[in-house]
Amino acid sequence: MSEQNQNIDEELGLPLPRRGNKGEVLSPVERIKTASDGLRGTLKESLTSQLTGALYEDDQSLIKFHGMYQQDDRDRREERTAKKLEWLFSYMIRLRLPGGFLTPEQWVALHEVAGKHSTGTIKITTRQTVQLHGILKSHIKPTISDFNLAKLDSIAACGDVNRNVTCSAHPNESEIHEEVFAFADKISVMALPKTRSYYEIWLDEEKLAEKTETEDDPLYQDRYLPRKFKIGIAIPPNNDVDVLTNDVGLIAVIENNKLIGFNIAAGGGLSSTHGNPNTYARLATVLGFVTVEQTLKAVYEVITTQRDYGNRSDRKLARLKYTIDRLTVEGLKEELEKRCGFKLAEIKPYRFTSRKDHYGWKKNHQGKWYFTLFLENGRVLDDELGAMKTALLEIAKTGKANFRFTGNQNVIIADVMEADKPAIEKLVKEFKLDEHTANAGALRKNAIACVAFNTCPLALAEAQRYLPTLIDKIEPLLAKHGLQDDEIILRMTGCPNGCGRSPAAEIGFVGTAYGQYNLHIGGDREGERLNTKYKDNLNEEEILTTLDELFEVYAKERNSGETFGDFSQRKWILN
Amino acid sequence: MIGDLRLKKLQEFFDSYSKEELIWVNGYLSGLVSNGKVNSNASVNGQDYKAVSTKKITLAFGTETGNSKKLATQLAAAAKKHGVVVKLTNLSQYRVTDLPKEDFLFVVISTQGEGEPPIPAKKFCDYIHENELSLPNLKFSVLALGDTSYPLFCKTGEDVDAQLLKFGAKQVVPLQKCDVDYEEDAQAWFAKVLQVVENQTAVTPAAAEPAPVVKKATNKKHYHGTILTNINLNDRGSKKATYHIEIEANEAIAYEPGDTIGIVPNNRADVVDRILSLTGIAADKIIITAKAEGTVRELLLHNLNICYLLTSTIKKYATLTQQEIPDTRMDLVDLLRIYPVKDADQFEDVVKILMPIAPRLYSVSSSPAAHGENEIHITVAKNAFLTQDEQRFGLCSEFLGDLPVGSSITFYVHKDKNFKLPAADKDVIMIGPGTGVAPFRSFLAERDATGANGRNWFFFGEQHFTTDFLYQTEMQNYVETGVLTKIDLAFSRDQQEKVYVQHRIKEKAVEFFQWIDGGASVYISGTKDPMSKDVEQTLLQIIEEQGKKTREEAQQYLELLKKEGRYEKDVY
Repeated sequence: MSEQNQNIDEELGLPLPRRGNKGEVLSPVERIKTASDGLRGTLKESLTSQLTGALYEDDQSLIKFHGMYQQDDRDRREERTAKKLEWLFSYMIRLRLPGGFLTPEQWVALHEVAGKHSTGTIKITTRQTVQLHGILKSHIKPTISDFNLAKLDSIAACGDVNRNVTCSAHPNESEIHEEVFAFADKISVMALPKTRSYYEIWLDEEKLAEKTETEDDPLYQDRYLPRKFKIGIAIPPNNDVDVLTNDVGLIAVIENNKLIGFNIAAGGGLSSTHGNPNTYARLATVLGFVTVEQTLKAVYEVITTQRDYGNRSDRKLARLKYTIDRLTVEGLKEELEKRCGFKLAEIKPYRFTSRKDHYGWKKNHQGKWYFTLFLENGRVLDDELGAMKTALLEIAKTGKANFRFTGNQNVIIADVMEADKPAIEKLVKEFKLDEHTANAGALRKNAIACVAFNTCPLALAEAQRYLPTLIDKIEPLLAKHGLQDDEIILRMTGCPNGCGRSPAAEIGFVGTAYGQYNLHIGGDREGERLNTKYKDNLNEEEILTTLDELFEVYAKERNSGETFGDFSQRKWILN
Repeated sequence: MIGDLRLKKLQEFFDSYSKEELIWVNGYLSGLVSNGKVNSNASVNGQDYKAVSTKKITLAFGTETGNSKKLATQLAAAAKKHGVVVKLTNLSQYRVTDLPKEDFLFVVISTQGEGEPPIPAKKFCDYIHENELSLPNLKFSVLALGDTSYPLFCKTGEDVDAQLLKFGAKQVVPLQKCDVDYEEDAQAWFAKVLQVVENQTAVTPAAAEPAPVVKKATNKKHYHGTILTNINLNDRGSKKATYHIEIEANEAIAYEPGDTIGIVPNNRADVVDRILSLTGIAADKIIITAKAEGTVRELLLHNLNICYLLTSTIKKYATLTQQEIPDTRMDLVDLLRIYPVKDADQFEDVVKILMPIAPRLYSVSSSPAAHGENEIHITVAKNAFLTQDEQRFGLCSEFLGDLPVGSSITFYVHKDKNFKLPAADKDVIMIGPGTGVAPFRSFLAERDATGANGRNWFFFGEQHFTTDFLYQTEMQNYVETGVLTKIDLAFSRDQQEKVYVQHRIKEKAVEFFQWIDGGASVYISGTKDPMSKDVEQTLLQIIEEQGKKTREEAQQYLELLKKEGRYEKDVY
């Protein structure tokens, strides 16, 4: 908890607000980071305090860097307050899973941890990783310890650092998938904070007496990044990871069946703030091409540029996209090239055609099999709709299939050898996974919702708890206009922070208040054009009436092959 | 102070004494000083002393709720009017080694729930049961207070009586057992006692008049309150149900933190109406009983016990209705169904033989300074009733748990003289798991509202942190504002090994001892067994280890704390 950089007001003897390079007043989180002694803060004391299920205030910011959020059950606030009990605090833990991959043994471990320490539901996220919710403070250490035994960690899964690196999920779609997938892990490791605090706090590793060089962090220094930082990798023509929504997007370039490098894009980010006109959703701008050898360096220097130039006084304007606004795209590129010591090459041509998961059984070039299972909003649980959680556990127990997660919150039962396929297929049939996937409608299969209520502190409206029933009501409207097989991308988020990537949808809902949503339309199907707000604050009835009208016009007036997003853009947004 | 010469003389005088002899002399001199015999040049006159002692009696009381104490105080005042010198003492303060020296010893003692002595008298009772004494010169009698609705009626009084007889003491007046309406019986007993004392001494020529013990119809002020709040503090999924009940009266309630209130639960209206229809009596018929006056319906709802009637009540009923009824206990409604009354007029007589509803005592969990003097709070665990018989459990749990906001309730304040906060600048250690939190919520609110600057340390425990942390947000506020200097919590079932408050106390042994050795008062509230016993063992261990004392010295240390009023328990 060093405060050596703190300036003191000589007259009052009070600490002055810390200032950044350009003399601006730093946001309070900046102080917490630099004073945290390598993200340690007072987390150990926070954990042992028996008085509350919450953490000390500063530690609530720091625990994010360890892959957790402090949350509370918002459904229970009122009742518990009447009972003179504090809110029901618990923690969400998010794993660091570059490219979204688990061995069958790891899935079994995850299943057990979920049952022992969390609500039991395994949530596949929009960034190809796994979240567990409802972990009480006293269960955090056992959870991390159990994960550690399975060689799983949650380091930097949240916080002002590079988050989970995403990568196109379908090995069957490209022969160079494995090589590209390896980059996700390389980037993740490169951008890990160097502090040993995760191991000390959660796994009781002895603290080193003297800070050694191993703790020096040339990338993050003691201030980390101004804001979260996201990196994704796509293998065209599928843009299932929504690569341009990342701070850094890498688009694999393949020539003669060989990976030669990546088009590198920067400045994506979907979050905005209601009522703050300076905030907006943005897709990344493709800057140029880097070779395989140059890729890590280029990514690294985008991060350092953001570290040094990002806004540290206003967290709402701190993402890389706003830094680019200040530097300009050309300015960023120049700075990046200066730092890299090499020039970016001309952008190589690429083309995206979809962002979807191809469900059911598929085979890759080596003869391995992949079954992509539809999971509504990524929630793995046993309920009246099916024993999804038990099914995946039984499959994992065979040891014959890996688990891959897609950017659309689905699970791929992956890398199954031809010889093992009958055994896995038997389980798939036994638990009706194939039926479940086949029976889901096109709209539902291409929809995403964020978590929102009851645990997300930012939620203004419902999302994953509500979207399934809203789709139940939209499906008849589609059928009425003969659109039931249209693979329209619909996404819902409970607030404008964009976790459910609704700005990058053909139909996007953004919660404004409980039961009310802004309706956005006009995004394209490939993820290269964002949508635009069409109506404000619609309740369910208004949503259904509006969509009915839009579908009617679309069905009548669309051009051949024209998507709902493209039609909407032409008909209602540009006009 | 003492002149050089006299000091020299004294030193010369003691030169020839052995160490043992000096210790004896030391005790002798202390005795002289404490008996006020200093400055009397004459040697102690045995005859004179005896003449005084024959007019002197010891009146000892063992009390938990305060009834015995109140009665004993009245009796002592009456005795003094008759020229009898009374040494009035609480059995908790009574030195058992004085027993052989007593001439007359009269004991007024109550019996608790399961035939147990009142906690303050337990040490005395244990002593006379665990030791063989010879008391041939002692003349005694026992007045036993009890409640015939409990199976072991006046058990403690019986035990004391039997033990003293066994030790060869002479029972000058037979054991007198009293029910909840003890006044008349107690008066008669004491008249006999005075007669014996006066005849023996023959000092006072005046004729023995019965002591004028005033019988008051209502000797406690009853308040009529409205329920402001009734919430179950335990969250969903808890095995416990603890009700926080806030009551508002239309006048100031005279109470202090540490007091308890007595609540008379109402009978169920549907049962009362059933009784009315069974007997055919008019609901608004006015009846005057020994204790109350009102319409039949009112009396049956609010005043008279209709649940699980006493055998004696049923006998009276049998006589009244001229029916053969076996010795049993049952609800009035069943009795009326099986052995009906002749008519409504006969039922009127039945109403007059019914006992009053027994009140239930609850520790107050509010502070007049903090919550306003018209308001009083209690903290009631549902399972607290489990120790009662089934019917009573039903009556009380239904009554208190179901009391809706806005309903009315009658209660009285029961003063607890001992369980009181020390001076504002003194430190306080509070050990109150479960509903034991109640008086400490009261203490903390009071100290907060009055700005008391002594430090406060609270030990609390329950089953689960998430669902059972009673008054959690209030405690958090007290920590934040500094009212609570320290808080230690034990949630027994949140981990594999059960952790209780005594374990937390042990973990803080060094600091705990510093606090008490520095003058802190220690309070225990909650279940007697095993909690308060385990905590006391832990306290002894800490005093022993931290104070570098033997077990015996530790016990003496704790005794001293008790004497100084710095170690108080409110356990049940």
